[in-house]
Parts: sequence; C-alpha cells; structure tokens
Amino acid sequence: MFVWELSDTSANCDSFWIRRGRLGSDTGTLDQTHRALLPSYSSPLTQSRHEIYSPEGLRTDGRRWNEIRNFDCKINTHPTSADGSSYVEWGHTKVVCTVDGPREPDNRQNTTDRAVISVNVNVASFSTETRIKRQRNDKRLAEMNILIRQLLEEAVLTKLNPRTQIAVNITVIAQDGGLLPACINAACLAMIDAGVPLTDYVSACSSGVYSNNALIDLNTLEEQDVPFLTIGVIGKSDKISMLTLETQLPMASLEPVLATSLSGAHAIQDIMDAAVRKHGKHRLERK
Amino acid sequence: MISINDRKFLTEALKVSKRLDGRSMEEQRPMEVTFGSQFGHVELTMGKTKVVVRISAEITKPNERRPFEGIFVVHTDIGSMASPIFENNHQSEQEIMISQVVEKAVRRSGALDLESLCIVAGKKCWEIRADVHYLDFDGGLVDATCAAVMAGLYHFKKPDVDVDGGAVTVCDMEERHPVALSVLHLPVSVTYGLFELKNDETNEVEKVECVLDCTAIERQVQNAEITITINKNRDICQISKPSGVSIEGYRIVELCEKAFQEALKVTEMIDKALKEDEEMRNKGNWKALLSAENDRYEK
Amino acid sequence: MAILTIQKATPREEEDVEMVYSDADSDAEEQMVMSDDENEDMDDNAQAANVAAGLVTPGKLITEDPIWMRGHGTYSVGNKTFSSTAGVVTKTNKLLSVVPLRGRYQPQIGDHVVGRIVDVGVKRWRVDIGAKQLAVLQLGSVNLPGGILRRKQESDELQMRGFLKEGDLINTEVQSLYQDGSAALHTRSLRYGKLRNGVLITVPSALIVRAKSHVHQLPGGVDTVVGVNGWIWLCMAWANSHLTRENTTSITRLEEEASLTETYSDKNEDIPRSVRENIARYANCFKALAANEVGITEDRVIAAYEASLVYPSAGDLIDKEAKEIIAAKAIAA
Repeated sequence: MFVWELSDTSANCDSFWIRRGRLGSDTGTLDQTHRALLPSYSSPLTQSRHEIYSPEGLRTDGRRWNEIRNFDCKINTHPTSADGSSYVEWGHTKVVCTVDGPREPDNRQNTTDRAVISVNVNVASFSTETRIKRQRNDKRLAEMNILIRQLLEEAVLTKLNPRTQIAVNITVIAQDGGLLPACINAACLAMIDAGVPLTDYVSACSSGVYSNNALIDLNTLEEQDVPFLTIGVIGKSDKISMLTLETQLPMASLEPVLATSLSGAHAIQDIMDAAVRKHGKHRLERK
Repeated sequence: MISINDRKFLTEALKVSKRLDGRSMEEQRPMEVTFGSQFGHVELTMGKTKVVVRISAEITKPNERRPFEGIFVVHTDIGSMASPIFENNHQSEQEIMISQVVEKAVRRSGALDLESLCIVAGKKCWEIRADVHYLDFDGGLVDATCAAVMAGLYHFKKPDVDVDGGAVTVCDMEERHPVALSVLHLPVSVTYGLFELKNDETNEVEKVECVLDCTAIERQVQNAEITITINKNRDICQISKPSGVSIEGYRIVELCEKAFQEALKVTEMIDKALKEDEEMRNKGNWKALLSAENDRYEK
Repeated sequence: MAILTIQKATPREEEDVEMVYSDADSDAEEQMVMSDDENEDMDDNAQAANVAAGLVTPGKLITEDPIWMRGHGTYSVGNKTFSSTAGVVTKTNKLLSVVPLRGRYQPQIGDHVVGRIVDVGVKRWRVDIGAKQLAVLQLGSVNLPGGILRRKQESDELQMRGFLKEGDLINTEVQSLYQDGSAALHTRSLRYGKLRNGVLITVPSALIVRAKSHVHQLPGGVDTVVGVNGWIWLCMAWANSHLTRENTTSITRLEEEASLTETYSDKNEDIPRSVRENIARYANCFKALAANEVGITEDRVIAAYEASLVYPSAGDLIDKEAKEIIAAKAIAA
C-alpha cells in the first residue's frame, strides 16, 4: 500500500491513497483493484440511473474517489517495427505508441540545434461505443498532437540530437476516458524505450469534481457528467507543466482537483518506472 | 523575430518589474469597444490589437443528435493582415491553439443558451455565427476575441419569428422588434505570460514571473502561456496551459483569483459600453413609442 | 539526501541487483548509491564492474559528487548528476555515463558496418546505417576501378550511380565523425565494397558484441558480415572472397583490377540450394538470438546453428519455442 500525503487544502481527505494497478497486486489489495476492471456501462439511455458518486463513496465502476483504474503498461512491444514502443491499458482505455527516431528528419529546416519531435495521434474508428467517422482535419486531435508534442519537447533533451527527428505515433484502440493522459504516458514510455534522453518521466492524469468531492482518473461516463481537468508533469515535482480544463469548474474546487491529479500523475510514474525496470532487468540478464 | 539584445533588455527589465510599455506586471491594456450601426457588429481594440466581430443569424436544420438545440459557431481565421506571422489559408499551430481556446471559452462554456435558439424541434433552428476578423496583432488575441464575441452576442438581436404549425415566418425588423439572444453568462479570458528569470551568474532560474496581457514582442520572449477563462460567478470556464515552463499548483490558483478580478473589470467595461450604445440608439425614446407593450389605454 | 553510495563489491552481487529493482516504487533515496569516502581510493575497474549492475531510469539521481565527469546518458543540475536514459551506469576513470538499454546505433570511428545507399548526391552518397542521421560516403573514400590511388575525375562523378546506386548494400567502415554525431564512411580496402550473393538481417545494434573481426566464415559454406550497427549480411562463401581477404599488397595489379570491377557488380552468382538453405537457417538463427535478446558473437552464432540442425527445415525455426531453445543453447556456448 502506498500513501501520498496531500496538503491540508485537499477538500475531502486527510491522507491520500492510491491503489495501484495490476503491477501492485502483490500488495494484497487485489479484490479492490479488480473492481475497477468491471465494465462501465455508458449507454446514454441508462446514464441517469448511475450515481457518479454514491453516498457510500463509490463511483460508477466501484472505485473510491482516490483510486486510479488499473494501469497496465508494457514497453518494447514492437521491437522490430520501431525504435521504441509501448502499450498502455488504463481501465478500458487502450493506447499503443511507437517512437521512430532519432532519425534523419523529413524536413531539415529548423533542426540545426535540436531534434524535432512530431506527434501524430490516430484514433481508431472502433475505439468508441458508437462508431464515429473522424473528420479529415479534426481540430481537437490537432490540438492534442500539439499538447503532447510540447510536453515531450519540454522533457526530452532535444539539444543532444541535433539535425534529427523523433516521430511519435500514437494509436488509440479503445477509449474510456482519460484519452489525453493515456497518450502522454504511453508516449513517455515509448520515448524511454527508444533510448531518447529525457530529463525525467512525463506523466499525466485527469481529475474531476463532483459536489465538493474530487474524483481521480475519470472514465467516459464521469467525463460526460463532471467538470474535470488534465495535467501533465515532468518528474515527481509539484510543478505543473501542462494543464487543460475544458468544462466549467467552480473556482473553489480548483485546488483540490489540481492536487488530486498531481498525485495521480506521480503514482503513474511509479508504475511506469516499475515496468521499465522490469524490462531492463530482463534485458540485462541476457546480455 | 526578436534580436538577442532586445530579448535580454526585456528580461532584464522584467527582473526589476518593468515592462517595455510602462505597464505594471499585472496591468491589462484597456479594452475599448465600439458598436457598429448594425446589431452584433463590434470593434474592439486593446492596445494595438484590433478585432472586429460580426454576429449573424440564419435559420437552418438542427444537428440530428441535438434536435432541441440551435447552432453556434465561431469562425476565427487569422490572416496575414493581422501579422506576417500568420499565413492566409493555412492554419499554423498557433492559430489552431488560439481558435481552440476561443472555442472552449465562448462556445463550450455554454455562454449562449442554445436551447433558446430552437424554433421547431428537429426541423428548424437559428444558427448564430460569429465571424472574427483580426485587423492588427499585438498579443492578447484570445482575450480580445473572447471579449469582442461576448459583447457581440449581448449586442446582437435576431429577427422575431412566427411559428404557425410547421410554417415559420420571419418578421421584418421594422415591423416587429428584434429579439436579443439569451446569453447565460459572460466568460472573460485572461492570459498570462510566464517568464523564467535567470540569475546572470549561475544561470539558474530564480523565479518565474507571471505577466498579464503580453504584447507581441513579449510573447516571443515568454517561456509559457496560461489562458484562464472565468466569469463573474467565479466559475472557471476554461484553463489552457500548453507546456513550457512549469508552475506550482498554488500559483495557478492565485492566478485564477487575479484573473477573476480582471474579469470583473472587463465585464463592467462591456456592460457600460452596451448601456451607452443602448442609450444612443434610444434617442428620443422611440423605442418606448414603438414597443408593443406601450400601454396607450392608460393615457 | 547528502550521500550517495555505490554498491560495494560484494560476493552477493545478484542480491544487490534485486534490491535495486524492487525499489522501483520507493522514493529517489533508495536507488543506486555511492559513498564519497570510497570512490577515491577504490580501484576504478572494480568500481565500474559494480556499478554496471545498477539499472537507472530517466530522472534518477546518480551522484551528488561534483568529482565525476558527466558522460552520455546523464545530465546535471548544479552538482547533481541525473540519468537521462534507462540503462546501466558505467564508469571509465572519472567519467560517469549511462549506457542505454536500447537506442539507435551510435557510430564510432573504426566501426565495421553494413549500410544501404539511400541517395546519390554531388560527389557523395548518403548511406543509411541505422544511426540517428544518414552517413556520408564521399566519392574520394571509395576504391574505383583503375587503381586504388588514382585521382577521381569528373567522369567518375558523372557515373557515380554506376558504382553504387540507391538501394545497394555496402560493407564499410566509419572513417570519421562530424560535429553532430553523423558518420563519414570509407570503403578504401579490398575487404569493403558492395554486397551481393546473400541476404540482410537487421537486429538491434545493442546486441552486437564488438569483436576483433566482424567477418566470419561459418560452417555450411556461409560467410557473414556482422555490422556493429546491427545489420548483418549473410552470403555464400566464396573462394578468394573479398570479404575475407586480407588487405594485401601481394595481389597483382591485374587481379586487383578484376576484383574491383567485380566489387561493383550487381549480378548474383548461382547459389547452390544447400547454401541457400544454410543462409536461411543462419538468418533464422540470428532472428532467434535477437528475439531473445541474446548478445551476438561468432561462437554463439555457430552454437545456434548447430542447435538448429535438430530441425530438418530452416522454416521450423520461426516457432517461438524453437527460438527459445536455440537462444538458450547459444547462451550456454
């Protein structure tokens, strides 16, 4: 069991607990984490029957306010087709990321002193419950590409690989909330797998608020009903690098929501670190 | 592009809390709103930044998935007229980010009551369109656009309609009084530039300064940007901080508080401008004379 | 955290490794540590051997001691040195560096590599050697027919595509490095030149163990060039093959002429069926080693080949279990 202390400003709890995903199953909290694996039925017709946060403190998928969904990640999933690759399964959100590079840039402009990062998020049309045909130039996706790229540029030591390009390709296989954070986390893992120098782990987590209760790591159902924000952090610092809030949120709730998502992002870094180390150990044994 | 000397001068000045145009760190350039002769025509200037917004209305078929709602679109095409950094007919990353923030601040924040735009459910509704033209660029595009569009929405009046069964008749503006839009709240965007101030000797970051309403030159030097959209009810409609220099969570909360104070000022400014325009249009109290509510029997 | 300790040389090295891994979820304090009083006097080699066991991930503090020079895979903030990649800490004298677990091939002068021509430019070819940037092969650094030391003429410039064209594979050596880390190649030796009569297999460059020679004559009538960049060429063994020939001066001028024209030939010779099968078998052996992330050496390749003979057809080696068995046998060798 791992504890993250939050400042006293946290709206609803003295101490902050995050139950770890499958990687932490050795901690003996299996029954709890597995509850998060139950499917969340997000049919619009049945929506009203769901309580976002019950008086007993349970959410639609059985989690408590401070539980992140099962975060399962692997690196080096596509060893032959890319320099770095990763797979992230966060609850029902599934994302594959491959990193190609550092390699000869497509366009040698603006690369004289640093590596250029390009990000392309590709959302499979079967990733949502109802099949949606994406428009050719979806501005939301374009924005997401930019956000991920800028966050990675902040963390990657681009100056070390001048005249190169690092192409990040993200494919979203399934969506159930937390799309942007899942993509960011997957991109970080794939970058590490590709051996790209980073100052630290990059991670992201979303968090929302429901009647004065901060809820961490929302699924689709919750994202539709609850105001939420997504943050991106570099390393275990309490400084926030990226922040997006798209739904109306009362100002008083901002602080607890920021704090919760920050702790979530830090917790994710530990899980990612464990996955990287597991893979590294495996490789070193065979050298 | 800005020269190294200019860049240095700007950061050195910021270290002693001075800005190129003499403003303080937390001083917004005053916004000035002028309304055109037609409803929903707004010209807004903020320093050298100049934005024109034209609101128009049209009757169309509602979105199939939302039969009870009207449509509201914001068109923000930034051309090279504003500044050579923007290209015509080509969306740069900066443009995408600006239009997305405006979209979130004005449209997705639910400022306009879309349900009030419905005429016949699933068949006919109003489409309100805000066309934003950028005439001059000196930073603060999001803030200016947001204020101008909101002023435009308050100012705009759409013609009244008669619904008789399935038939919809649009009444002439001369015949019947046009109706104002139902605007639910007034989101105000406030943008801060974040500057990393480094120690000259050690080259370590001493502090991160938050500077309100950066000009075009300051924007080129800034290390990050945070745009907060907030209304006078203390609801944060949108925050957008793409990466760049990191900042502690509590400072974001502080910035929101400061942004709220700015939002109050902008709200007041828009209210005042609207009132003045109203008075000007109502010279000779013709409005009262024309009103159908004019109770002639009392005389 | 004031002190850092490098794990001391202990007989129970394995356990130390375990400790480092299991700490994955704890704070930064429990990573690989070193104590400052020791690093001065300790034998550098012994130290290096110890530290190599420590796996670090990006953002992990390696040392706070300013005495160390920061090498690849590290970055520093003030006096603190952090890791920037996931890899193993290694030390050479006072230089601390982190060797990444994976990553593109980083060319070093003298590396024997296999590359593919991607572009024919003015007086130079651009060659993909699997590095971060394309390498450059100057027209002046190749041997052309008509004498090794002859001047390059305009006519040579015009018929560059006749010697090496896009898509050709070459056997070459890194001659020098440019400022940005990209490589300049040369083929000024009779051992180097265009490759034919075989197949190319690519494996991660990290798996190639550097050796005295990267050209091996393997049992079964197959020659191989194991490029340090992880590109492996397998071809029919060849009497007097230019691959294995020493760079001698004893060849007469005529012979040299002949071999040079032959060097730029595009024609494959007739390869007997048995040799083809052996090439396929070797190719699958390399793939088996790579799939199981086994370092590649001549001995291991031969061991893998011998282990693979149990399977009647080379195609059987695609099976995942077969790959594992072969890799296990190769490690044992």
